[in-house]
Amino acid sequence: MKLRIKRSRILRWIVQILFLGLFITAFVLTRYSVPVTFQNLFFKFDPLILLVVSIAYRTVLAAAMLSLLTVAATLFFGRFFCGFICPLGTTIDIFDVFVKKQKKAAPILRSGKYLILTFLLAAALLGTSFLHFFDPLAIFERSLTLIFYPAAMYIAGIFNVGMRAIYTESAIAFLFLFIILGLNFISQRFWCRNVCPLGGLLALFSKSAVFKFSFAEGCTECGICEKICPTGAISIEKMSVDSGECIDCLRCLYECPQHVFEYKISLAPKRLDLSRRQLIGALGAGIIIAPLANSLLHRRLSGRLIRPPGSIPEADFLDICIHCGKCMKVCPTNGLQPCILEAGVNGLWTPRLAARIGGCEKNCNMCGQVCPTSAIRNLPLEEKTYAKMGTAVIDRARCIAWEQDRVCLICDEACPFAAISSLNETVRGTTLLRPFMDERICTGCGLCEARCPIEERAAIEVYSIGEERKRRGSYITEEKIRLRACEEKDEDIPSGFIIDN
Amino acid sequence: MDKITRREFIKIGAGAALVTLLPKSLLNADKTAAPVIGVAEGDNSKLVKAAVDLVGGIDKFMKAGDVVCIKPNLSFASNIDCGATTNPAIVRQMVQLCLDAGASRIIVLDHTIHEATLCVERSRIEEAIIDKKVSLVTLQQERQYTDVDVPGGKELNRIQVAKAIQNADLLINMPTAKSHSATGVSLGLKSLMGLIWDRGYLHRVNLDRAIAELGTVIKPGLTVIDATRALTTGGPGGPGKTVVLNKVVAGIDPVAVDSYTVGIAQWYKKSWTGKQVKSIRAAADLGLGEIDTANMRIKQVKV
Repeated sequence: MKLRIKRSRILRWIVQILFLGLFITAFVLTRYSVPVTFQNLFFKFDPLILLVVSIAYRTVLAAAMLSLLTVAATLFFGRFFCGFICPLGTTIDIFDVFVKKQKKAAPILRSGKYLILTFLLAAALLGTSFLHFFDPLAIFERSLTLIFYPAAMYIAGIFNVGMRAIYTESAIAFLFLFIILGLNFISQRFWCRNVCPLGGLLALFSKSAVFKFSFAEGCTECGICEKICPTGAISIEKMSVDSGECIDCLRCLYECPQHVFEYKISLAPKRLDLSRRQLIGALGAGIIIAPLANSLLHRRLSGRLIRPPGSIPEADFLDICIHCGKCMKVCPTNGLQPCILEAGVNGLWTPRLAARIGGCEKNCNMCGQVCPTSAIRNLPLEEKTYAKMGTAVIDRARCIAWEQDRVCLICDEACPFAAISSLNETVRGTTLLRPFMDERICTGCGLCEARCPIEERAAIEVYSIGEERKRRGSYITEEKIRLRACEEKDEDIPSGFIIDN
Repeated sequence: MDKITRREFIKIGAGAALVTLLPKSLLNADKTAAPVIGVAEGDNSKLVKAAVDLVGGIDKFMKAGDVVCIKPNLSFASNIDCGATTNPAIVRQMVQLCLDAGASRIIVLDHTIHEATLCVERSRIEEAIIDKKVSLVTLQQERQYTDVDVPGGKELNRIQVAKAIQNADLLINMPTAKSHSATGVSLGLKSLMGLIWDRGYLHRVNLDRAIAELGTVIKPGLTVIDATRALTTGGPGGPGKTVVLNKVVAGIDPVAVDSYTVGIAQWYKKSWTGKQVKSIRAAADLGLGEIDTANMRIKQVKV
């Protein structure tokens, strides 16, 4: 296949690749040993996150206030974000290079993005966020985490470098991205012009942007501009460019043989064509589907759902979390994993601590640091170690120290808080050290569950019992400090000693 | 070469048979001589060289151009004053010693229990990586290991041992002196579990005996125990009671070094001897070394 890039498009390609590179760099640098500086900055410029999360959460999301800058810039220059910055848009463009001969008669579904935006807002009004299915930044970041990262590490593993990265849910994420890219077969930038609600939101502002593209004198109605416009914004019949659809790609400007296009100040806003019926339909869909999203959500069904340390209360968490997967990428033990149905249907891809895969390391608070919306609070290290995620429960029937009289006690060894003590206990006539759990000290970090040496399910498992979920305030209490100061705690003599009489 | 006549053959055969009848002590005269334990105490920045010099100096163990593996204990992501990991200053002195002796490559390695990046950070082991020839390797992946048979093993038949140490000329075991909730103490022999892949398996069988059997397969040329401080309760991960000893114990005989070190601190607030530690005793029973401190030549020096 020959790749020919027209000179006129080079500028945009360079900017797009730069931003995509920046996004991917931020992704790669989302790792334990790298201090968090710009890694989650992209999300803070996403006005869709600000809008939907603030409505669903009933509190203005301070973390995303920078996105007002995006809105302001769009009010001046139009949807340049879509054309130049959005990493998903760039990926779609790259994919598009490889799609041969698109059908030219693209279906006109452009109101779709406004309807999906309406749907999102209606659901948000009912307190449910569906943002993660539609926000392009969340989709892209998540695809990097769940699809490309494990793949890259797998390939690296063949060459004996790097650590493993495994995620329990990559298939749905892959299918999702596959469909978004596949939509290009219907028409160029199908997702961006018909589906993307961020595009829709920016289009609303772009309709009244200060700078717009417009026809000047001299058009010969040759039809080239209509053909090359990736979003179908140009209508020769009406001699107008819909600034809501236009993503500032500049192709008309460069490629019109008569050079009739100009980019200039024009204050008249473009009309928004939406029927009342469509709007009511979208609102209705939001209102009906929002409650359904909470199906499969029942406190007693989610006993094994352990959220990252410092996660805000569950209902709030589901509103704020954009399911971007940054916490899962940064988790050094690979313990943070995407939910499938553990947190309800709408909790798909939200993080949970799968302690059998990896526990929560005592000296790490990276998930809170990278979370772009503070669904996981950015707690200082000391504070984080006191945020109780759950409680480990010893299953004596499975435990080899209890059931098979083995000298195991790996859980005691792994516990960084000395919540597990090994005490002599006589079972069936044999006196041996066996593990006991002090649930007041246990933080639910799951390092014990991760290390338990028995096959399959561990004999010590973390449940969400006693988890502390706070929107604000400290987790440290004097009682906890007292319990943790265990230097003088009584310990039984390990069985590795032979006690002479 | 000339053909061997029948008479010669019988002579040689008889001679060989006689040799097998000799007491072992005569054949391995060198090994059964009282093992030397070098104990240095005092200034933490000079302990390693002083202790190693007491057991013959580093040149006795390696020559220029050798590849050396140093195995500290980096298992836990806890602060260095806790005593759950080997003091990086002690490891650094050993690295320097090997560099001075002309080592071509030094690999500092361990299979950590907690997440490796955090263990490396908290143990501050990178302070010991002082030269281009020195590298730090955490053994967290199965592909870094290869199968090794355990001849005569009752608990272990075959285990996966780190490839790196099999390719090295010298393995120096540098554990930290600490208590252990299962085995009582965790010293040199116990620390070898950081060189195998499936350490959990040892807990599923008779742990004390399995540790001894591990000692028949992995044989460090030199054991240097960091007893600058000892985690005397709450081990192996801490937190617990940490006492400052400012000592380093070195020796060739892995059983003797461990057995001696048991006696230098109180574990779980009680005094013990090496013979009272099942894993050390099992190792002595397997003939890995001397357990009785009365039969050791203990050389002490204050620096």
